[in-house]
Amino acid sequence: MKEKLNLSEIAFKLVLLLFFASFYLLAISFPEKSKSFPQLIALFSLVMIVISLMMDFTRKGTETAEITDVDDTELKVLDEKARKAKKKRFYKAWGIILVAAAAGFLGGFLFTAFFFFLGFALIFGKRENLPKNIFVAVGMTVIIYFSFQWIMDVPLLHGILW
Amino acid sequence: MNTSDVIIQSIAFVLQWQNLAALVAGTLYGIIIGVLPGLGPSAGMALALPLILKWHPATALIFMGSLYKCSNYGGSITSILVNTPGDASNAATILDGYPMCERGKGGVALAISATSAMVGGSIGMICLVFSAPLLARFALKFGPAEYFLTAILALSVIAAVVKGATLKGIIAAGLGLMLSTVGYDVVAGHLRYTFGWMPIEDGVPPIQTVIGLFAVTQALLLAESAGSISRIGKLVGGFWEGVITYFRHPYAVMRSAMIGLIIGILPAVGQTSAGLLAWAEAKRESKHPETFGKGEPEGVIAAETATNACMPGDLVCTIALGIPGSVGSAVFLGVMIIFGVIPGPMVFKEKADIIYSLFIALILTSFVLFLVGMTIARHLAVVTLLPNEIIVAVILVISLLGSFALRYLMADVMISLLFGVLGYVMLKRGYTPIPLLLGLVLGEMVERNYHMALIISRGHYSIFYASPICKILILLTFLSLAGPYLGPTWKKIKGGGKMLTKG
Repeated sequence: MKEKLNLSEIAFKLVLLLFFASFYLLAISFPEKSKSFPQLIALFSLVMIVISLMMDFTRKGTETAEITDVDDTELKVLDEKARKAKKKRFYKAWGIILVAAAAGFLGGFLFTAFFFFLGFALIFGKRENLPKNIFVAVGMTVIIYFSFQWIMDVPLLHGILW
Repeated sequence: MNTSDVIIQSIAFVLQWQNLAALVAGTLYGIIIGVLPGLGPSAGMALALPLILKWHPATALIFMGSLYKCSNYGGSITSILVNTPGDASNAATILDGYPMCERGKGGVALAISATSAMVGGSIGMICLVFSAPLLARFALKFGPAEYFLTAILALSVIAAVVKGATLKGIIAAGLGLMLSTVGYDVVAGHLRYTFGWMPIEDGVPPIQTVIGLFAVTQALLLAESAGSISRIGKLVGGFWEGVITYFRHPYAVMRSAMIGLIIGILPAVGQTSAGLLAWAEAKRESKHPETFGKGEPEGVIAAETATNACMPGDLVCTIALGIPGSVGSAVFLGVMIIFGVIPGPMVFKEKADIIYSLFIALILTSFVLFLVGMTIARHLAVVTLLPNEIIVAVILVISLLGSFALRYLMADVMISLLFGVLGYVMLKRGYTPIPLLLGLVLGEMVERNYHMALIISRGHYSIFYASPICKILILLTFLSLAGPYLGPTWKKIKGGGKMLTKG
């Protein structure tokens, strides 16, 4: 019996295929000495990805399909719940990262640091620890400011706005 | 004056209080620099340079040498505790160091790392004190074709062994090599694949990439789950367990030290390759290779011993030939020149007192490092018990700050975040980012030597298999790539044979 195709795996390989193919094509306009190495690497990688894709389509497996007698509905539900919780936390983390990065671009890296500490404390921390977490976030930001801006002269307050 | 007299004089010089103080200060400063992702030995030396300009040249070089050596240990601390190498050279340590932490054995892994720094570093230094001039002459036999093939061998070994998915490893290495072609090309100076974006004109910055691939990716993985790094919620095993474990693997120690030494004397191949090659070799030789990558102490022993033994070889190349093996040794070379110690084969005669003082100080540093490691390992391991939400924010701030502080560009933070996404997707799809990193780090050297070899041979590709060294390197590359496929086939044939005999 054929094993189920992992679509996200295939999609990732197709993205890589596109990446190497476009790098190969872009190199055509480079001078002779500049293009030979990247084209060689791109070509080699393209061949490897094609082989890998072919292996994905032809791979055979039976183990997953054979164990059908065991009732694992409960396990599947738990698995699905855990997976959903993980996904939710992942998206929340990315939300914090994007907001913090945007704040950094506007006001300087110190804002990035502050939003990271505050964001993770507020969104992932326990509700009863909220005042303590906010205090820690502010404290950590102040420590970062003094150790890097004052002592090491890193411009932490240098953004688009000022 | 013969070599033994110089060595005795140098020992007396190093034991003077101001030199010992410089050594201890360099050790502590190096560990702190190493712990901060992004601030590798090169940044550390650059920051310290204004403070030591008026020092005696030998004392200044002892300080810088200790700093350079110990920053590697600092980097291994973060590799083990939070899966984030302080520098590219610590990439191999995370393979087994971090899984050991997840099992609550962070203290043991740190002890192995400290012992490796002492033993690996000492073996490397002692060998090199006596054989440095000879080794420098051997390294001169390597031409561009040999360097090209050495880098390809390093890439193929890593691609073949890491996580057992050879094809995925090769693709990841190809991605790293491809990204290394971004920016001004090393031969013609043509600008490639920058799309008008200035921050990558000098190439995809490796430190920001390391931060993205490891620190940001790790932060994202930790953010996904509640709890702490140590999955069992407590620390198991102490410092001495790590030390004992280390000495229970004498063969792995010697083999990894030799790999480190040999890689070290090859200019521009570097500690990253040494650690990864030694880890791959340890896995290949092991009776239980399936435990590698899952918290196998021998994996940490191999990676750390090789990395620490590589550094002296790297230094010898820098001192004897003036060819640095890494960014850190390139800065060290600059420091030497500033203090009037001009690298080259004659330096062993003209400045023998300074060079041997440096070598002896570095042996001593290994022991100081062990003592420091012994004091702090248990305390540092507590980090693995902290809640993930605290660790994630701290990892992101410290690592991205390291990325930002290199050039004061928010664009570097963006580069790290982009590589963080890439690292996350790669890990989820079963690709390890380590071959990518190695490809990126070695890419420039591979391309430069590829073109240089072709220029020397006037375009004939035969130069890549002409010399005996080339032939050996090609054979090793083939074996490393075919190994994962040939091994099971050979076992099947053997098994079939046995069954036939039984039948």
